[in-house]
Amino acid sequence: MCGVNFEIHGNPDYGELAVRLESGEKLITEGGAMSRMTPTLELKSRILGGILPGLARKLLGGESLFVGEYGGERGGELALSPALPGTVLRELLTGSELYLTPGCFLACTPGVGLSPKMMGFLGLKGMIGGEGAILLRAHGSGELFFNAYGAVIERELDGEMKVDTGHVVAWTPGIDFKLAGMGGLKSTLFSGEGLTMNFSGRGRIWLQSRNLPATAGWLSPFCVG
Amino acid sequence: MAVEVLQHGAFHSALVRLAPGETFVSDSGAMFRASTNVDIDVSVRQRGGGLLAGLKRMVGGDSFFLSTYSLTGGSQGEVGLAPTLQGQIFRIRSDGGTPWMCTGGSFLGCDGTLTMDTRFQGLKGIFSGENLFFVHLSGVGEILVNAYGRISEVAVDGELVVDTGHVVAFEESLGYRLTKAGGSWLTSFLAGEGFVLHFTGKGRLLVQSHNPKEFGSLLGKHLPPRRR
Repeated sequence: MCGVNFEIHGNPDYGELAVRLESGEKLITEGGAMSRMTPTLELKSRILGGILPGLARKLLGGESLFVGEYGGERGGELALSPALPGTVLRELLTGSELYLTPGCFLACTPGVGLSPKMMGFLGLKGMIGGEGAILLRAHGSGELFFNAYGAVIERELDGEMKVDTGHVVAWTPGIDFKLAGMGGLKSTLFSGEGLTMNFSGRGRIWLQSRNLPATAGWLSPFCVG
Repeated sequence: MAVEVLQHGAFHSALVRLAPGETFVSDSGAMFRASTNVDIDVSVRQRGGGLLAGLKRMVGGDSFFLSTYSLTGGSQGEVGLAPTLQGQIFRIRSDGGTPWMCTGGSFLGCDGTLTMDTRFQGLKGIFSGENLFFVHLSGVGEILVNAYGRISEVAVDGELVVDTGHVVAFEESLGYRLTKAGGSWLTSFLAGEGFVLHFTGKGRLLVQSHNPKEFGSLLGKHLPPRRR
């Protein structure tokens, strides 16, 4: 009893998620993600994982403090769209776990638990790496929907991989990363690659083909006024 | 007149083929190519005179200049239209029955024979995240609307809630009011939804998958502050 009736449309440029909830079924969503719904559905706001973890997520992870919970006796349909153009992904959790970087959570069924996880000591590793201090740990059983900026590259990792910061969407717990410079000091400063995340271990990792700070950096000289 | 939507991933454009005597109207600046026998005439559309026009200027928003394309000489011609928004174009065939309402930025162009005017939306328009004025189109002919992201057509029969910033166009047989998404205003704002538009009636509704305002607010965090 953890499934939900859903369709994903529009990947990889403008992915969106459409869900049909039967009577009594619920969907937890990222704040503000709903784009349309039948008025038969009721909306409640919830703080994810309690007040303190919620606040930590908001302040350090850049996610909303509150999430929406849609459901009700009559059931209904709703559509969700991420703020960023790109891909909507779905993962069925069966007692498994997944780490999501900030901003990537879209929705889940109630069987999925969401809790914050510090990235390194006091989240420093994550902050320096530019992914935010706090990861969202999704665990339990149910449908998990998350989103990426641009197209998604999913890899089975067994060994090591270098990833530029800003391009990581999610990974499974068998994997961990260390921060490193790309090449020597000169390359780190001048190659535009800066820090990289060196992942190693065994599991799955999802990367995104675009990077929002990079888009902003390119666009910013044209935003005059 | 033959109107074709060229679908290239997230970057749609439109091609309008005109026969002698036919005209097509578009949002000014939308034309990106035209055959050499196409004549362009730019006009300003009145959005209600007097106080309302003044109010509109105060509030700001997009200028509403229109380009009208007609042909010189006796041969066929074509006009290519490219929206500013990165997303889809939707072609509406207006059958002369129910008129269509397009939110301000979504109007791309229409057959020159259609009757076009603007409808003041007042506070409803401001809080809806759409424009103060909607474009009202009636008659028989082609209409092109564009959006940020994908456009979905919903056949509303009863009620539908649409988040602000997602409405592209709708048949005038649908009414809408501004309301809250949840049981209470507090819930609605805490859940990040705030205002929503509650549509009722029977008719076609076009919605866009993505919301420029949400993308802008995420992107804006990474941009340097504006200089005053």
